[in-house]
Amino acid sequence: MIFGKISEVKTKMDFIQWLGPDMSIKVLSYLDHPCDLVRVSSVSRSWNRFVIENGLCKQLFFEMFPEISDVVDSVEVDNMMIEPVTNMLDNCANWECLKREHKAYAVMAFKLKPYVKNCISKAIAASSTNNYPEESIVNTLEPGDRTENRASYWLSEGQSSPGVPESLVYKLCSKICLITKIRVQPFQAYFQDGSPIYSAYTIRFRIGHPRHHIKLESAIAHGIATSNMVGDTTQFVWTYTSPYYQMLQENQLQEFTLPEPALGIGGVLLVELRGRVQQQGLYYYIGISHVQVVGLPILQAFDVKTYQPSGKYTLKYCPPDNCIYSASSSRSDSNNHSRLWSLTSSITKLDVILFMMHCLVLVLGILLLMTKKL
Amino acid sequence: MAQEASSSTSSKTISLKTGDGEIFEIEASAAKQMKTVQRLIDDLGDDITIPLHNVFSKELPKIIEYYKKDITGEITKDFEAEFVKDLNDDEVKVLFLAANYLDANKLFEFLSQNIADRLESKSVEYVRKYFGVENDFTPEEESKLREERAWSFRGIKEDE
Repeated sequence: MIFGKISEVKTKMDFIQWLGPDMSIKVLSYLDHPCDLVRVSSVSRSWNRFVIENGLCKQLFFEMFPEISDVVDSVEVDNMMIEPVTNMLDNCANWECLKREHKAYAVMAFKLKPYVKNCISKAIAASSTNNYPEESIVNTLEPGDRTENRASYWLSEGQSSPGVPESLVYKLCSKICLITKIRVQPFQAYFQDGSPIYSAYTIRFRIGHPRHHIKLESAIAHGIATSNMVGDTTQFVWTYTSPYYQMLQENQLQEFTLPEPALGIGGVLLVELRGRVQQQGLYYYIGISHVQVVGLPILQAFDVKTYQPSGKYTLKYCPPDNCIYSASSSRSDSNNHSRLWSLTSSITKLDVILFMMHCLVLVLGILLLMTKKL
Repeated sequence: MAQEASSSTSSKTISLKTGDGEIFEIEASAAKQMKTVQRLIDDLGDDITIPLHNVFSKELPKIIEYYKKDITGEITKDFEAEFVKDLNDDEVKVLFLAANYLDANKLFEFLSQNIADRLESKSVEYVRKYFGVENDFTPEEESKLREERAWSFRGIKEDE
């Protein structure tokens, strides 16, 4: 058999048929958004059949919510229970059941997808790194403390004083995120004698945006965001700061629930670690294996635009039909009256006309009522 | 603080010959990661040049580069990002097919994820073109599907 580029393979032997079901499932199971999977199933009849028969939407749903995979037995659609497929003897009825299951799980996954488990989209930089890139902050995006063949963690540079703090800076998946809790797992060096845990004493979180936005964004894009940029917290404007929490000296994913869900504006998260616990030789280190941010990113219709160097920002609301509405907001340390000023300064002529029309309608309505009463 | 890298037991190199007649060298421990190559070595011995009819000189060096890093335990997220950064969609497909043929599991998994990433938020037409699949729905079936699944057709990136 002669293999060629995929697009040259004849349609009789399309990609899924050529790779075989196991390999194809493997590739398609890496699609982690229900919309992508449903669009893939809309490619052709055989792909539609493949996605539905192999229950890929159901598989995706339980990957998103593994905590209920043992508990959910069946689904009901339009008051009709869908029997587990193995009970069905009739192939046609089987197919109908599979189609309904596919639809149910696809829609449920779609509706629940915005409530993502982790709002972090990228690791920006750490205030220091012991061994770059093997022990870089990027490893903290990976759950757990190891991958197939190596340990996965970030480790700070060693310091002779345990009081020197460290920071980890991440980019959030949206500039407006409603954050409820943050989970952090300290690193336990399982390959060292005694398996020491490189935790910190206390931890806190801040959300904001870079002060000199373009410079930092560009540095991130070119992969040259340095420790210096993030170590100096004056490089950022923080719109939210959490209280300090105690960290446990335990190798587990520790959960820190914010006192109230915090609306983080700006898209940058700082994890600040204070108080080094563990020494190696003469120096103290802090190590983290995983960081997760739980919350709701506001993705559609809302956005934030920051202005430099004033630090002011505009909250943008763009409903699908038009984008003319926006309200400016100022930093928390400026006067109240300036907020009103920036709000009024953004009212357009159109707004004035609409307002007057509404007044006219109101006056006419009142007149009508009065004449009816007389 | 880094873990000890796994030491290779032999520094022997194997010669691989591509479908278009070029020869490349690879360390025996890297060759072991590609099960097809290892099977050929087991059948033919490690002294002769192993023929790989279905892999070509354009992609084999890239594959060798990947496994060279793998045997020294140096594959990091940064390396993987750099590895695929300049590859266009066709080049990734070709590598993917080659990894499948060579039964090079780690590379195959990595490329599966990369292909899925490239399909993220892409339109149905783009996916059809990418995989060379013919649309065999009738126009009526297609419009019915699009109506039922309208929610999945939002947020699509523009095709390049």
